[in-house]
Amino acid sequence: MKTQTFPNPTPSHLADAPPEDRLAFAITEVARQFPDRAAIVAEAGGEGSRSIEYATLAAAIVKLEGALDRVRPVGIVARAKRTESLVVIAAACGRQHVPVAFLAEDSRDLIGELRDWVAIDDSLLLVANPADQRREFEAVATHVVVATSGTSGPPKLVDHSWDSLLAAARLAEQWHGLGWILVYDATRWAGIQVWLQALLTGGRLVVPASRDPDVVLRAIVAEQATVLPATPTLLRRLLTSADRTLLAGARLERITLGGEAADGLLLEQCRAAFPGAKITQVYATTELGEVFRVTDGLPGFPATWLGRSLAGGARLGMRRDGELLVQLSRDTAEVATGDLVEKRGDRYEFTGRRSDVIVVGGAKVLPRRVEELLRGIPGIADARVYGMPSAITGELVAAEVVLADPMPAGSSPESIRAAALAACRSGLEPHGVPRILDMVKKIATNPAGKVPRRQA
Amino acid sequence: MSIPTDATVAAIVAAIRQVLHDTGRTAVTVEPQMLLSTELGLDSLDLAQTIVLLERSLGVDPFRSPPPGSARPSIRTVADLVGIYSQNAPISSSTGQP
Repeated sequence: MKTQTFPNPTPSHLADAPPEDRLAFAITEVARQFPDRAAIVAEAGGEGSRSIEYATLAAAIVKLEGALDRVRPVGIVARAKRTESLVVIAAACGRQHVPVAFLAEDSRDLIGELRDWVAIDDSLLLVANPADQRREFEAVATHVVVATSGTSGPPKLVDHSWDSLLAAARLAEQWHGLGWILVYDATRWAGIQVWLQALLTGGRLVVPASRDPDVVLRAIVAEQATVLPATPTLLRRLLTSADRTLLAGARLERITLGGEAADGLLLEQCRAAFPGAKITQVYATTELGEVFRVTDGLPGFPATWLGRSLAGGARLGMRRDGELLVQLSRDTAEVATGDLVEKRGDRYEFTGRRSDVIVVGGAKVLPRRVEELLRGIPGIADARVYGMPSAITGELVAAEVVLADPMPAGSSPESIRAAALAACRSGLEPHGVPRILDMVKKIATNPAGKVPRRQA
Repeated sequence: MSIPTDATVAAIVAAIRQVLHDTGRTAVTVEPQMLLSTELGLDSLDLAQTIVLLERSLGVDPFRSPPPGSARPSIRTVADLVGIYSQNAPISSSTGQP
């Protein structure tokens, strides 16, 4: 159910404003016309759900801008935990042309690189320390610093211009006034994209009280959210672990998958659970931003895309060993993504990251392949395959699986386990067969909602 | 060399039987003098899995950090395994307590 759309800011008005001003501008405009409209619903689906209006955000932004103008810090580190605080800090810093960094809990030790920057927490108070560096002139371009999730290497800080941060935002009429579920970390690239998108379009950002599948679904239903951006792992958890009646009550219209590649089975299960939803798969990295989107609902991307210029201007290439290469534009260098792809029919499908490869007695195993096999076993809802160190073989393939609830009639954990191992023996090379198969209540994920590949 | 406890032997036999079961092979009675590779048919992957299972049940992995100056132990028979795990057993298991 869409809330009423509003005439201002129209996409052209927003586009006229400099990129760093757009967030503050959009929030202020909506606040002017619809001050009572909810901008953010925090702790949604839980007991302490609270709503923050556009007018409240607009006032907080102006107040912080005043402080920034007086203190003129070199940069700001957003140390706040609440999403509404992060939004206010981003909008105020943008319009005041102050660089801002978003650091997640696990990247706090990277703060050493930003030593002259001033931290702001949920109090939104800017404490002026006379010893702090003051900006005398705008020598440093206004930019936003985001930490990578550490999935493909140790977490590091990446600079983005506001232009690049907003590049993927969809501002057309059809995107206005929607309810967006935020299950991503609000300080990382994916989460930032979601709250920017919601607030630039007068939408409602719904932040569930936790990532528990039932809580997320309750939030979707209670707040009538219709857009779910998520990783395939989080979506799989929703589909397999959530209460069936709650699942049936959710009316999602758009599901945007990113962060990991979705396989054909998940896409089928998603269509079955949410028949009215349009599924978009986004391929993006914190360094590159968004590279391409696939909207045909099939895994991977069309084979014809390789070697051609895509809609956003990017060009895809492939190394001999299957690693995907991206050249964002004619003037930029080709980047090795670390993602491996394989041609299957008229598509290229993702087979995993190069760094995921498990080496057993010198032979390579791709965890994704084993996971796809395991997920196809009746009685297994989800699986995570990872490398376990071994003094004898270097590594062993290990797996943890979540059983389907309810289990198929006549089966038991033992029979499912035996069936899984038998299927692995016939479908994989001997070194690829999981040697350890544990049954767990839920699949371990890292803070970015992705699946870790080394033993936790 | 400490005296092998019943618990250590039982854990090793159970681990080997689990490996045979998991890999679709028929169960056999495991005896101390049996050769791991030629009589029980265990390859390096099977051995690696056995070691992981024993780390879970006995709480030690003697192969992970060998004592300084030690050579790679020879593991040909079930008894060899029992010997290695008995030498590396935590204090509690040598007093017969779990």
